[in-house]
Amino acid sequence: MENDAHLKLQAFVDGELPEAEARVVASQLARDADAAALIAEMKFTRHALAGHEKAVRVPESRDFYWSKIRRQIEASEVERPAPVAIPWHAKLRRFLAPATAVAVVAIAGLLATQPVGVVGGTETSLSDSGAFTYRDFSSGTTLVWLSYPAEETLDDED
Amino acid sequence: MLWMAVLVLCLSMTAGSAQTATLKLEAQLLWGTNDGTSPNPKHKPVGPEIRKKLKELPLKWTNYFEENRKSFDVAEGGANKVSLSDRCEVEVRNLGGNKIEVTHFGKGEKVVKQTQTLPKGELLVLGGNAPNSTAWLVVLKHAE
Amino acid sequence: MAEISHSSADDEALVREAQQGGLDAFEELVSRHRDRIYGRAYSMVRNEEEAMDLSQEAWVKGWQRLAQFQRESSFATWMTRIVINLCLDHLRKQKRQRSESLDALNEESGGVERLMPVLTVNPTERLERGELRQRIDSALNQLSHEHRTALVLHEFEEMEYKEIARVMGCSIGTVMSRLFYARRKLAVILADLKKSEAT
Repeated sequence: MENDAHLKLQAFVDGELPEAEARVVASQLARDADAAALIAEMKFTRHALAGHEKAVRVPESRDFYWSKIRRQIEASEVERPAPVAIPWHAKLRRFLAPATAVAVVAIAGLLATQPVGVVGGTETSLSDSGAFTYRDFSSGTTLVWLSYPAEETLDDED
Repeated sequence: MLWMAVLVLCLSMTAGSAQTATLKLEAQLLWGTNDGTSPNPKHKPVGPEIRKKLKELPLKWTNYFEENRKSFDVAEGGANKVSLSDRCEVEVRNLGGNKIEVTHFGKGEKVVKQTQTLPKGELLVLGGNAPNSTAWLVVLKHAE
Repeated sequence: MAEISHSSADDEALVREAQQGGLDAFEELVSRHRDRIYGRAYSMVRNEEEAMDLSQEAWVKGWQRLAQFQRESSFATWMTRIVINLCLDHLRKQKRQRSESLDALNEESGGVERLMPVLTVNPTERLERGELRQRIDSALNQLSHEHRTALVLHEFEEMEYKEIARVMGCSIGTVMSRLFYARRKLAVILADLKKSEAT
């Protein structure tokens, strides 16, 4: 059997063939012992896999696993996710204060472990004390987030 | 005549070396929002490449609109200051070897100075919160 | 008090609260689904430490993108897609760092298993469930990343060819080819395991 024929049989087993083609393959199986054998092999492989993925558990405690996630969230967080429901302003205000506190703690932690103002080979000197730097190595992008100009309008920017 | 030829040769060599050390940069002033359209019809959606890279950053906004864009060159050892709006200017100093020093000015005052290498295709994004849960961003790109 | 209400809340309510900035609600979601997310990462990269890092990175990305979750699927499925994408990126980076091996050359063509005769006896019949799981896991461990990923996405995540092609960044034909040779190889490995047990 050619490679294309194999793949067609597989698509038949996976239910990915159009109905008309599937009917042709089904009728072919009665006459082609090789095709029928290959189909049987694919079916028992599928059957063996179905529901038999080995259950794997996180090899760390809930608290330990979460603590690293939390640290990363706090370190990279610029703002918490935008509120979806209205009214948004009251909820945003409610979460802004703790978010800022968390960010300050995260920045303090970051500065304690790295040379001041140096993140991922970049150097930042700030007149804006609320700013921080984030580096996404995979996309080669550096983000410097400033608290300036926190609440001023940009409407007349352009 | 020979003197003239040597002068021309020297000038062309100087021009050539200056060209290789000159950084070609592009700065864009963007507005980040979760709204689908910009209230200002002059704004256009940001291009797919920048959009994709912004998506990778820990920013909450889903849409970015371009307010202004400037392309400019900075010769090695030199600096160039570009104005992106009345309130927003960036000055880039070319320190050589793709290393730059970027100073951001808000309303004429220095806000932040960032020193880093910026290889071709990489981005430096400066930004901050704006009213109504929006954001302003300056995206600096080392152009191809 | 808050903990009690979180543990009894359904995913939908927790996601809503997390979208409003509730990190405690998000922690409860992590607690509920961490084994699934870690397990999917482990099934793809087959390394405990890498799976741990990737699964945690997925949760961080999940938090950052929570506003984008549109409820088109369950939260767990949405998170699983995030960890799958991270694992695929990770595997691509690893592959770029590796020199082209014989395995890689055989990736689409199927290598030796192309020539193997079709098995006529089910190598997994009469196996106890736990033992079968263990054997499947050993067999998956012997597949290349690309073959294993195609199988995992198709058999365990129940993705269609076109969806696998999209996340793996390849054509449907390549997916079919990878899937076919992954299955053939798996059948051969399972048969070998059966044989070695018999001798």
